[in-house]
Amino acid sequence: MASSRPGPPEASAPSSRLEEILDDKLRIQELPESDHEYEDLSPQEEAHMAYLESVKIPIVDDFKTESTEIQDETLEVVLPFLEGNPNDFPLNEHGIPHLQKEKHVKFLKKALGDYPAPFAMMDASRPWIVYWSLQGLSALGYDISEYRERVIHTFSLAQYPAGGYGGNYGHLPHLAATYAAVLSIIMVSTPSTPSTYDSINRKNLWHFLGQLKQPDGGFNMTTGGEEDIRGAYCGLVVISLLNLPLELPDDAPARKHGLTSFTDRLGEWIGKCQAFDGGISAAPGNEAHGAYAFCGLGALAILGAPKHTLHTYLDMGALVHWLSARQCAPEGGYNGRTNKLVDGCYSHWVGGCWAIVEAAAAAAAPSPASLWNRDALARYILSAAQFAKGGLVDKPGKRPDAYHTCYNLAGLSAAQHRYLHDGDAVAEQGLDAPFGWTPNGSFAGSRVWADADEVGLVHPVFVIPFGAVRESRRYFAGKNSF
Amino acid sequence: MPRSDDATYYHDDPAWGDVTPLAQDDGGLHPLASIAYTDEYSEAMGYLRAVMAANEYSDRVLALTEHIISMNPAHYTVWLYRAKALRETGADLAREIAWLNPTALQHLKNYQIWHHRQTIVDVLGSPAGEADFIATMLEQDSKNYHVWSYRQWLVQRFDLFASDDELRWTEAMIDGDVRNNSAWNHRWFLVVGGQGGRLESRRLVERELEYAKYAIRKAPQNQSPWNYIKGVVRAAGLPFSTLTDFALEFADMRRPDDIYSSHALDLLADIYADNEGSKEEAKKALHLLASRFDPIRAHYWNYRKALLEVPETTA
Ligand SMILES: [Zn+2]
Repeated sequence: MASSRPGPPEASAPSSRLEEILDDKLRIQELPESDHEYEDLSPQEEAHMAYLESVKIPIVDDFKTESTEIQDETLEVVLPFLEGNPNDFPLNEHGIPHLQKEKHVKFLKKALGDYPAPFAMMDASRPWIVYWSLQGLSALGYDISEYRERVIHTFSLAQYPAGGYGGNYGHLPHLAATYAAVLSIIMVSTPSTPSTYDSINRKNLWHFLGQLKQPDGGFNMTTGGEEDIRGAYCGLVVISLLNLPLELPDDAPARKHGLTSFTDRLGEWIGKCQAFDGGISAAPGNEAHGAYAFCGLGALAILGAPKHTLHTYLDMGALVHWLSARQCAPEGGYNGRTNKLVDGCYSHWVGGCWAIVEAAAAAAAPSPASLWNRDALARYILSAAQFAKGGLVDKPGKRPDAYHTCYNLAGLSAAQHRYLHDGDAVAEQGLDAPFGWTPNGSFAGSRVWADADEVGLVHPVFVIPFGAVRESRRYFAGKNSF
Repeated sequence: MPRSDDATYYHDDPAWGDVTPLAQDDGGLHPLASIAYTDEYSEAMGYLRAVMAANEYSDRVLALTEHIISMNPAHYTVWLYRAKALRETGADLAREIAWLNPTALQHLKNYQIWHHRQTIVDVLGSPAGEADFIATMLEQDSKNYHVWSYRQWLVQRFDLFASDDELRWTEAMIDGDVRNNSAWNHRWFLVVGGQGGRLESRRLVERELEYAKYAIRKAPQNQSPWNYIKGVVRAAGLPFSTLTDFALEFADMRRPDDIYSSHALDLLADIYADNEGSKEEAKKALHLLASRFDPIRAHYWNYRKALLEVPETTA
């Protein structure tokens, strides 16, 4: 049985996030004191309230259910942060909190440090913590080269002798851990220090991936593990970045079913993950979900130029309709599924889909200025997703973690920057397509962030800095085999 | 780390006397995101590494994995090794399920548990009891993604697509919260997914259209049944205009002050876009959405408007 395995945690492909691993007792609700009196609204607050009024959907059903109840409760928690400034952050010229870069840097550096015993529950997710923290720090403009040696050391312990990475020494190899490990190593490496790149055993990794390729085209997350769309994305990212042979190893079980390449039947399998409402799910038949949508689009953007692959394997009209519907009104942030709550991590999972979709949509229509509301997303991130003491959150009242910090920042970057994909400059062979992206300037439309609130460029497919992609490409492109 | 009295240790247990634990060696440099494990966890992991290196599958290995899972249920390595040990020792799988139930309830968001359960139930070869357990889980979180995905696996594994019980249960879930999109997705999976994505039977098409309409009338601003009804029309190979009169019940564009659903406007835009003669009407619907009824998505509605101008050369 290959398809329809149970998926990963909600709101979290391709990760297993801290939030789900930690006991509730470790998560303390911490809401700032609200001393809001409506009689003394500042002009700023009045402007924000007028804005919120202007973007809400003016139709509200009388018929209430559990979903509307928790949505109403959520709005009650979120709105004060969009109307005013309960955290007392310094405001930019638009009356929106500045991005608290220093505090977030401090938070992420701490996330790379030591954890007390109750955190044993995240033992298997350590590669994620490292990746989220390093990527978040890079987006904030922090030079992460000081971590180079410790990154290499950390992952040399977690590298499985027969190939791939686990969570720690002695753990079995897992595709999610492998993805996080490879991205982390690439982020801190440069061609002038080749031993860091070479710490990855590419040949054994290739064999490990060969064990995961399924007869229906998808990838398992680990040997004997579940098959879902995270596998397709994580697998292709690793193959493409490390320039591994596309040919399946001789001992790959999928060969017995007539497959010869890692890409065989993969586009079709991803197409089967598109749900009836246009979204993309963990595996065929499951519910559409924002994090899996990013994995599906990321994988298709590695298989070829988005303007080809998205149209070949997906119903684009339905996809864009569904992605667009994920933006919550008036919150501005994204939710992950129909009738679910806004959550800062979807700033990336859904917000990050747009660069890929816009690259594909430009081929079909007079190039739209933007398909989505960048401004509203940036408002949510800056006003509601910054934790007072540093780090970013799902929504106000939740504790920050490296996961939400990384993906809120990636989403903010997606809102602030534009990218072009030159699909014709890439040879349509091998997995060259993701190297055809170039930055195309800051978003010039209406915006609520100041220049000081800008975060760095994030590669639309690999979700690491462009420089890291360029340099690793330069290094691995020369490796034709092992 | 101080030791607590109820901790379990192996080094002075004669049953483990023949095993030398493989301790973790962090080498010279301090790894990133290090965890100060308790002695209990460290020692148990040392014994696990040792038995894994020796490929040992035995009752004591089952006990050891159970112990580690109780300390860290998010440890996929332990779950995978346990699954293999159950297979190799021919353990009683019904007992495994009985142990899994409270463990899953204790760790609602854990997903290794669900993959493990799937492996076990696959070998057991029967879905008996699973529906009841799923119901208990969904009482805690009616949209739990793992639980619904597991349910879909069960339907596929045991061919429950045509089961009346399954459809009735799904209806009860939608009845409980008509906005539960996971339940709508499951209905789609049963009714259409099981038919290879096509709806051939006239009777089924009618039934599904009526079902979705009934739900929409309860709460017209709920997007789940609107997506569903559009899907039904598409899978049946019918034109969107099948739904014109129904959509107009909620959005008569001549009376913009009496619009009860932005999703009805959205559908009308699709209906009118299908026909060269009504493209102006489609634009009007999209304009109402962008300017008044769903302004946060104004860029998207304007994009749809721009698409109306594109000559239909490509599909
Ligand atoms: Zn989240």
